[in-house]
Amino acid sequence: MRRLVQGVVLGLLVLGLGAALVGGAPIKIGICKIVEHPALDAVERGTIAALAAAGYREGKEVEYLWASAQGDPNNATPIAQNFRSQGVSVVVAISTPMALAAAEVFKGTDTAIVFSAVTDPVAAALVASATDPSGNGNVTGVSDLIDVASDLKLLRELSPSIKRVGIVYNPGEANSDRLTRNAEAAAPGLGLVIIKAVADSTANVAMAAQSLVGRVDAIYVTTDNTVVSAIDAVVAAANEAKIPFLMADPTSLKFGPAIATGFDYYRHGEITGGVVAQILGGKKPNQIPVTYQTGAQVQLNLDAAGKIGLTFPQTVIDQASAIYYGGTLWERE
Amino acid sequence: MVALLMHAAEQGLVYGIAALGVFISYRILRFPDLTVDGSFVTGAAIASSLVVLQGLDPVVALAVAFAVGSLAGVLTGLLNTRLGITDLLAGVLSMIMLYSINLRIMGRPNISLLRAETITRSITALFAPLGSAAVLVFLAGIVLFIKLVLDFFFKTEVGLALRATGDNEAMITAQGVNTKTMKVAGLALSNGLVALSGGLVAHYSGFADVGMGIGTIVTGLAAVILGGSLIRSRRVGWMTASVLLGSLIYRIAVMFALRYGYVIGFQASDLKLVTSLLVIVALVVPALRDRFVRRPKPC
Repeated sequence: MRRLVQGVVLGLLVLGLGAALVGGAPIKIGICKIVEHPALDAVERGTIAALAAAGYREGKEVEYLWASAQGDPNNATPIAQNFRSQGVSVVVAISTPMALAAAEVFKGTDTAIVFSAVTDPVAAALVASATDPSGNGNVTGVSDLIDVASDLKLLRELSPSIKRVGIVYNPGEANSDRLTRNAEAAAPGLGLVIIKAVADSTANVAMAAQSLVGRVDAIYVTTDNTVVSAIDAVVAAANEAKIPFLMADPTSLKFGPAIATGFDYYRHGEITGGVVAQILGGKKPNQIPVTYQTGAQVQLNLDAAGKIGLTFPQTVIDQASAIYYGGTLWERE
Repeated sequence: MVALLMHAAEQGLVYGIAALGVFISYRILRFPDLTVDGSFVTGAAIASSLVVLQGLDPVVALAVAFAVGSLAGVLTGLLNTRLGITDLLAGVLSMIMLYSINLRIMGRPNISLLRAETITRSITALFAPLGSAAVLVFLAGIVLFIKLVLDFFFKTEVGLALRATGDNEAMITAQGVNTKTMKVAGLALSNGLVALSGGLVAHYSGFADVGMGIGTIVTGLAAVILGGSLIRSRRVGWMTASVLLGSLIYRIAVMFALRYGYVIGFQASDLKLVTSLLVIVALVVPALRDRFVRRPKPC
């Protein structure tokens, strides 16, 4: 056993030395995410695509170390420690727990932490301020805070009879918790009332959604990973009650909500890659303010609207960047 | 590599406290207690919210975390002994209740300790001459202290009654010991330790997350059983040592899976697979050695 360990260690040393001698050793970038998830995977792909476009190609100029906590926040710290021991120059931390663990492990070092898909970096104490980057230390990144008020306004435009909006959410998710609070804060100004239904796991989404039938005029779901994973259950409840369902995730449109808004997470990754490229180009994280993604899309599902007898008003159709009709997504030219 | 092993050792120790808690319920009381998945987070929630929101001293916050964790154990104990709910269901009910309670304590699903005075920061400042080893030395001290106190406790009259409650309930009832009280007390101690571990993990990692307790029972049991198969002894001192050894091996396995998993062709999504494979190796290698290597017989 000891021989084997010695052999492996020696082999790794030789490999490492070899790589260093070939010259122009690639810059190491650690990319970590909390869990395997379509949106977070898209962030990863977008990040490396943007870096490649900026001249940092995988295997040439940069080398990636990949890690996933596989849904367990306890894996976040060892992942960051492993990145540190391997001497990465930049850490791309996707989701709040990964960003917090990386910021703690790399505290006081020169290694840059670029967070991504973090809804509220100021509340998470990752950065001191959203707009003023000085005082951030070695941390900056990209936030996916969506404009909840504009989503609620969209529901209001759909029909003046919409007064009560039901939100299915998991209070255990930092992003979802924050957005639901934002919705509650924005609702009175728009003449709306928010009714919450809690689903603490994917198994409970169906029951939570069913509990809203007959009590609300529309259903709204934010970027809630738990609920998104069980979106069919929410669609079924909305169809049963014949009420519109707005989902703040455009990739979910084909699963049956009448409206989908929000960000393309591949684009979110591209923005993240752009921030990493700036850092590799010599900028310090405390010179780069947090980027809040803008340009939320509005997409309409006419098939779903047909099932609940909903006709979209022209003002809503004008905002749409794409429609789903006859089982196909049609994008506006 | 040395730094990584040190980190793995730190985690082995800090999660080892939770494993000692699981050891008390599972091995000593023979009570499969799922409360720990909730009380681990309760400890983290208390230890971080008291420091961040109330500005309390980290040591005080951790002591409160231990106390509140014990209350969670008392709750499960009472559900089981007074209301007659079976052990597994009593634990499950407490665990589910604690999810909501933990969210109440924290006020949100995730508390950041990045800008707070955590125990790890105090220790690093206090034992500055030790450099990067300060946290490891501190954790080793705490864990050794807890281990020795437990070893001593299990040899006292109350401790022996507790062990007997798990071993032979009829016998110890005949001796005039109230086994119901014993179970409640044992679960309180167990969940207190689990909560303390959760609090320390939060301070060590720099955040508390409401999802961090999922799997505490699984990794705790892994440490108890792994350690128990490596050190087979009925003596309490060796048993608690074996639990800590099991926890160390588990965390080293996680670290090796992270560091070398991709070197041998695994990808990021294989982390849990590689971790478990390494634990299997740790379990099987000593057994194989016993079977195949003929050792000189002691005279």
